[in-house]
Formats: sequence, C-alpha cells, structure tokens
Amino acid sequence: MDQIASTQLLLSALILASIYALVALGLNLIYGTMRLLNVAHGDLMMLGGYFSYWVFQLVGIGPLWSMFGAVLLTAILGAACYLSIVRYVIGNRELAARLEANSLLIFFGFAIIIQNGLSMAFTSDPRSYGYLNSILAVGDARVELNRLAVLGLGTVASAGCVLFFQFSRFGLATRALIQQRDAASLVGINADRIQLLVFCVGFGMAGLAGSLVSMTETVTPFGGFPYTISAFVVIILGGLGNLGGGILGAVLLAIIEIYGVALTSAAYRSILLYGVFITVLLIRPQGLLGRSAR
Amino acid sequence: MKERALTIVSIIAALALFVGAPQIVNAYWLGVALQLLSGIALTQSWVAFSGLTGYVSLGHAVFYGAGAYVMALLWQSAALWEILVASGFTAAALALLIGYPALRVRGPYFVILTLGLSELCKYVVIAIEAALESSGRLLFDTPDPVFLYYIMLLLAVLATLLTWGLARSRWGAGLRAIREDETAASTVGVPVTFLKIMAFVLSAFIPGVVGAVWVLRTTFFEPMQLFSPTTSFTIVTMAVIGGSDGAPGPIFGAAFIVILSELLWARAPQFYLVLLGILLISFVLFIPRGIYGQLTALAQRRRA
Repeated sequence: MDQIASTQLLLSALILASIYALVALGLNLIYGTMRLLNVAHGDLMMLGGYFSYWVFQLVGIGPLWSMFGAVLLTAILGAACYLSIVRYVIGNRELAARLEANSLLIFFGFAIIIQNGLSMAFTSDPRSYGYLNSILAVGDARVELNRLAVLGLGTVASAGCVLFFQFSRFGLATRALIQQRDAASLVGINADRIQLLVFCVGFGMAGLAGSLVSMTETVTPFGGFPYTISAFVVIILGGLGNLGGGILGAVLLAIIEIYGVALTSAAYRSILLYGVFITVLLIRPQGLLGRSAR
Repeated sequence: MKERALTIVSIIAALALFVGAPQIVNAYWLGVALQLLSGIALTQSWVAFSGLTGYVSLGHAVFYGAGAYVMALLWQSAALWEILVASGFTAAALALLIGYPALRVRGPYFVILTLGLSELCKYVVIAIEAALESSGRLLFDTPDPVFLYYIMLLLAVLATLLTWGLARSRWGAGLRAIREDETAASTVGVPVTFLKIMAFVLSAFIPGVVGAVWVLRTTFFEPMQLFSPTTSFTIVTMAVIGGSDGAPGPIFGAAFIVILSELLWARAPQFYLVLLGILLISFVLFIPRGIYGQLTALAQRRRA
C-alpha cells in the first residue's frame, strides 16, 4: 500500500495531467467556439513532435527552443485550414446545415493525410532522442529532468491559456461567442477574426504539446490517436467547451489512469480510459461540471 | 417508366454478371470481385445508419473485427451458418451495448465513442489472446473461395435491400428527420432515441457477418489487422464518394475505391491512403451528394 502513497506516483500523475490539460485545451477551444470536433488533434501533436525531433537531430537545438517553432508551424497550419476550408464550409448553406458531420469527415481526412504523410516522409520507425535526461531526486522519488520540464511548461502554458481567455478582451469576446453566438455578433464581435485566432491557438497548442511530449515519449506517425481519445475523455469530464473544467478533467483522468494502472496492470490502461468515458456518459453526460442538458 | 425499366434491367444484368463471375474470371479477379462485394455490404450498412441519421460512425471496423473474432474462435466447433449468424448477433449486441449510453445523449459523444471503440476492442482482444497464449489463429479446412464468394454476394444484396428498404420506409423518414433537425423531429413525435439505437444495431449486423466471411477467406485471424482503423476509414470514404443518402451510392463508392486500390494499394499503400484522405475532403467540400447524387442532379437538370 505504501507504493500507492509514494511521491513517485503522485509526480507521474501530475506530469500526465499537465500533458492532458494542454492537449485537451486546444481541442476544447475549437469545439467550444465553433462546434467543430477536431479528430486530427493528436496527429497535429505528432507533427509538433517530429518538428522538435528533427530540429534536435539536425541542428542540435532542444525542444525548449524548438517548441516555439512547433507552435508556429501548427498555428500556420491552423490558419490555413480555417481560411481555406472551414470558412468555406461555414459560408456554404448546404454544407453548414450539417456542420458537425461534415467537419468530422474533413478532420478525419486530415488525420489520415497527416498520419500517412508522416509515414511516407519519415518511415514508421518510432523516433526519440535524449535531452535533459539527467535524473533528479524529488523527495523520495526519482525523476528525469525532461519530465519535470514537461510538467512545468505544460502547467504554465495551460494556466496561461485559461487566464488569457478568462481576462483578456479577446478571451472575453471568445467566451461571448461560446455562450451566445448570435447575440455576440449583434454587439459587434467579429466572429470571423476570433475563429481564425482560435484555430491558430488550438492548433498551436497541439504543436506545443507534441513538442514537449517528444522529450519523454517516442514519436510515431500513428502515435497521435491515443492522445486524441484521452483529450476527448478529458473535455467530456470537464464539460465540452468549458476550459477550466478541462483542467480538472485532465487531473482526474491522469489520477485514474496512473493509480488504476498501479493497482492493476499496464495492460488495462486503455480499458480504464474507456470505462471512465462510458461511465460518465451513463451517469453525467453533461460532464462533471456541466450544467444539466438544456 | 422507361427509366425505371432501364434501372431494373441493369440491376438484373449486374446480378447475372456477379452470379456468373466465378465461371468466367480467374482466381485473381474473383478476389477483386470479393473485395467489391464486401465493400458494398459494409458501406450499405454504414449508410443505413450514418448516412440517414447524420451520426457519423468512425469505427465501423469494430463490428467487422468482432464478427471475424467469433468466427476464429468457433470455427470447426459449430456449423458454418450457425457461426455466421452468431457473428452477426455478436456485432449487433456490441452495437446495442455502446449505442445505448452514447445515443441517449446528442451531439459529438457518439462519434468520439465510435472512434475509440475499435481501438479499445482491438486491445481487449489482444489482451484476451495473450492470456490464452495464442498469437494469431490459423483457420484450417476453410470453404472453397467460390462458395465464400456467393455468401458475400448474398450479403451485399441483403445489405443493399436493407438500405433501400430503410430509406423508403417510415423508419427511414424518421432517421432523415433526425439528421435534418433532431429537436424538431422529437417535438413532432419521432421516437428519436429508439430509432437511432435500432438503426445502429441493424447497421452492425452485416459487418459482423462480412468480417466472419473475410477471416475464412484469409484463413488467419490477427487483431491488429481485422480491427484496423483503415477499414473504418475506407468504409466512410466509400460512402461519401458514392453518396450516402440511399442504396445506389455505396455501389458507386465501393466500385470507385476498389478500382483505385487495385491500381495503388500494392505499390504505394501510404500514398493511396493520403489520396483517399484528399478525396474524402474534396468530396465533402465540393460534391457532398457523392457520385450518385451528382449524377441524378445532372440528369434532373437536363430533363428540366
């Protein structure tokens, strides 16, 4: 039982929570603002991961710097995606009538293109590199420095993002858009510009998460999918579109996952994940923090 | 009337061609025809639920894989048709089990669940197989390919009839109403939850049987392959490319994709999938009604 109470497990749970929070934020932002479910989110992460991997391999610069490049890369992709495709879909009456289904199919196509494109370009070999991998003692736990970096940067980025949307003018406008779409445009909020920025930030967060994760995990062309699923579970726990709730959801899922695996076995990891998901759907489909269904 | 007669004649001709195919073509092309038929059967089942309701299922491979697993477990311990029926019912039961919580709530929950479900089932099956200390199962004394071909033909015809009948029925009208405006449908008295769940269960049955037939054909069961997300993706792409509002679309979509995969899959599988992704996005954006929908729209415009 003392194994369960150890600092080691607590630290693992916190690190995982910081990753989940970051991954889920980007997904939640785009879903909350535009009701678009980006099933390619995890694959964008892998794009960020590959970017940091190659920058480290080719010029020897670590992800603490290359993460800015990864964010830029994915944010530009987000802008391109919004300007070329999403705006067209929203503007087309026939397509917009079934926005949710159509956007899903489009993002599904994206996911397949990214996965197989990466696999074509870099083969499907798993990639990893050693960076900041000296081991530190934290209390009675031992942990690699890069995992602490993930924890620190992930927490700062998630908290920064939530605070930004809580307090800035732009964040206020975005939340107005989330709550009352039509009324928001009536009071002069430029929905188009906000949506463009939300796409940049949402995609960029995925790139950042991928860049950070590449320090501690291997990167593969098809490795993004589990992150997409975890992120979905996180935002459902916290309530779809609720940014602060997503952070709570991330902590909860990470605790369930780390302690669940410690108590049983690593083989049950994904079974646990879906178990949580289905249980929440059955008991509280509006999420733990969500208001009851309208 | 003339058009209707033409349609019936061409359906009979196509059926006659498929029935006679084993006598005419060699083993290789019979394999291609089998691909086509299984593509039609799977896509019709997808359209019967997702096409009509607009609830996009991104994990139909799970039913295919579940059916295949039942066949791999029971082969040679029961009669062939008994296992085929058991495969179908297992898939349908699985659909009921997950459809009930996921379809009670609206919106994206269902999609997320289907997306993850085939991955979950894949890992559950792998865990079970590991516990049973088996790594892949070989199936011995499987039936003759020509016999399997005829079962697949039957399944493709059944699936087509299912979608055709459903699309014309009151039930189908209810499902389409859900797609256009679920709140409105429910307000005017359409039992939305019941219709959705039943259609989902029905749309799972045939993929289960198709999976069972397919594993007899390949004679080898391997979870990574049979629960592959590529299967789900291919089904969705076939439906979107062909047209997903009725029975004719999937036939066009399956034919298109099978020809494309004949040309590319063996030589450049990753490029083939990238191309499929591009095709999927392009069709959603520019030809949302699919090949068949576009053809009928063009024909109507010419007549007018």
